Amino acid sequence: MKRYAYYLSCINESMTKEVDRSIELWQKDLGIELVKLHEGTCCGGSNLEYVSPKHFALVNGRNIALAEKMGLDLIVSCNTCLMTIRTAKKKLDETPELKREINEILKKEGLEYRGTAEVRHLLWVLVDDVGLDTIREKVKVPLKNYRIAPFYGCHILRPSTVLGHDNPRDPSSLDQLIEALGGQTIPYTHKNRCCGFHTLLVAEQESLNVAAEALQEAIDSKADFIVTPCPLCHTSLDGYQAKALKNAGVENSIPVFHISEMIGLALGYSAKQLGIKRHIVC
Amino acid sequence: MTLPAAQHTEGKKNVTFRVFRFNPQVDSKPYFDDYTIPVERGITVLRSLNYIKEHIDGSVSFRAFCQAGICGSCSMRVNGLSQLACTTQVWDVLAKSREPGIIKVEPLRNLPLIKDLIVDMDPLVGKMVHYSNWIDSTMPEAKMGIKEFLISEEEFLRYDKATDCILCASCVSECSILRANKEYVSPAVLLKSYRMSVDSRDSMHEQRLAELVKDHGVWDCTHCYRCQESCVKSIPIMDAIHGLREDAIESRGKHDTSGSKHAEAFMTDIEKKGKLIEATLPIRTNGVVWTLQNLLPMAMKMIMKRRTPPPPPLVKSVKGIKIFRTMFREMTEHVKQDQKSHKK
Repeated sequence: MKRYAYYLSCINESMTKEVDRSIELWQKDLGIELVKLHEGTCCGGSNLEYVSPKHFALVNGRNIALAEKMGLDLIVSCNTCLMTIRTAKKKLDETPELKREINEILKKEGLEYRGTAEVRHLLWVLVDDVGLDTIREKVKVPLKNYRIAPFYGCHILRPSTVLGHDNPRDPSSLDQLIEALGGQTIPYTHKNRCCGFHTLLVAEQESLNVAAEALQEAIDSKADFIVTPCPLCHTSLDGYQAKALKNAGVENSIPVFHISEMIGLALGYSAKQLGIKRHIVC
Repeated sequence: MTLPAAQHTEGKKNVTFRVFRFNPQVDSKPYFDDYTIPVERGITVLRSLNYIKEHIDGSVSFRAFCQAGICGSCSMRVNGLSQLACTTQVWDVLAKSREPGIIKVEPLRNLPLIKDLIVDMDPLVGKMVHYSNWIDSTMPEAKMGIKEFLISEEEFLRYDKATDCILCASCVSECSILRANKEYVSPAVLLKSYRMSVDSRDSMHEQRLAELVKDHGVWDCTHCYRCQESCVKSIPIMDAIHGLREDAIESRGKHDTSGSKHAEAFMTDIEKKGKLIEATLPIRTNGVVWTLQNLLPMAMKMIMKRRTPPPPPLVKSVKGIKIFRTMFREMTEHVKQDQKSHKK
């Protein structure tokens, strides 16, 4: 059983509780154990870095240091948390004086940021550590009748200088996971596009237009559902779906799943157990 | 030494360029023309287009000048991605083509089309004018030409990369928000605005910032990083956007907008609970009236699905919040000290 420190994203503790609930169901089936980091704090959601760059470094240096204290890598299941924490890590690893400054403060809690823990997305752990062969072996209910639109979202791909796992122009890890679970991926030009989440409260119309385009392509391609590794993309594409599509004059809908739910379904858990009924579009 | 035959032929291929065609004066809708030409390894997309224009079809229209990645004229979408035709190797693109042996060439997005691969740059130039993308010197006119206006190396490093922009508009073409609303300021203009605003010789900082914080300005960026990823000069464009936002927050009061309130809520909540208090975020960003008008129907659906974030009193602080808060506040003191020494 391989162990990891698991970062608790704010949204998964409130609006998208089904993400962590479904991971808990199947983690041991796939031979991994995610140890919840209850002391971890909000990463700043890609905002704190310009509100106060130093607090941004402290907060996320601390998040990583908590995992380092346990001797584990830090696993994240929200794209924006991933990008934000990895950005802070890059900054700290490249700026020794900043690292010294935050470590002086972190001493109070008996913590030290060393830069030894990797910060990785759950999707990467599944594809690289668990492995597609193992996943294939564990599948009980192959998703063979489903045409699935893989929506990666931005912050698992870009900036590639910070993320660097998939090719941002032609990502493949989510496609591979879908195929390992027996599903059929559809060609989807929006796979590496934006969901509009980060401007929902500031430029709502623009955000809805961005979401509507991604939804419409999946609908036009006759996908059965969209799947995303990010709860923020999920919120934009599921929670705001009716508004976005109405805005675009589209009379249709499409379910959006988290990767954790899609895995759960293929491993034989029910939609009820996985919390899929909590989605706005079911 | 002679090269083996296979390797020799690998250095030359027949490549089909599927070129976007549209002349609004003649055509009712756009179409694609295929041109298959022999291409040697080392040839760029621009040289291939030149060959097509010279030898096959003189009516294919595109813009090009320096042929060396300096002038920014020949930006276009090659296999869907905005880039300079003159620095893009046919061989590199071919290796990743979805349809073997075919390279699709299209005009940039988000700018009006003039003909074939040529887009109208005037809207972009208009925005550069609107957002004062130049420096109006603080030096009195009488002193100009008499005294050097020196800047420190440290200051120059802040905008060194930003000055590399050649206005090719690849970032404009890839921008998610511009795709949704053509009035959006656009990444290139934000980059230029940042470059001008951090220059200590500039006198228009306030005027520029006042425009940037309005609708369609710096707060509308959705952090998708597509601009940065497509930049042909590898400029960290998002750093410039963050720099402008930092500037806007520092000038808070004068430039109090929903964007800055939204961003600052993260800082406040992290200090208070260690996590985001999502339930009140819309109200804190846009006020009660906006929230009721815009989010009430969705909130009702979310309540039905038990999907609403908990109200603030029910948001549990993270474990160890007391010591975290002490450390967070210690950093606040560091920041204050930095600001004091910066002012000195």
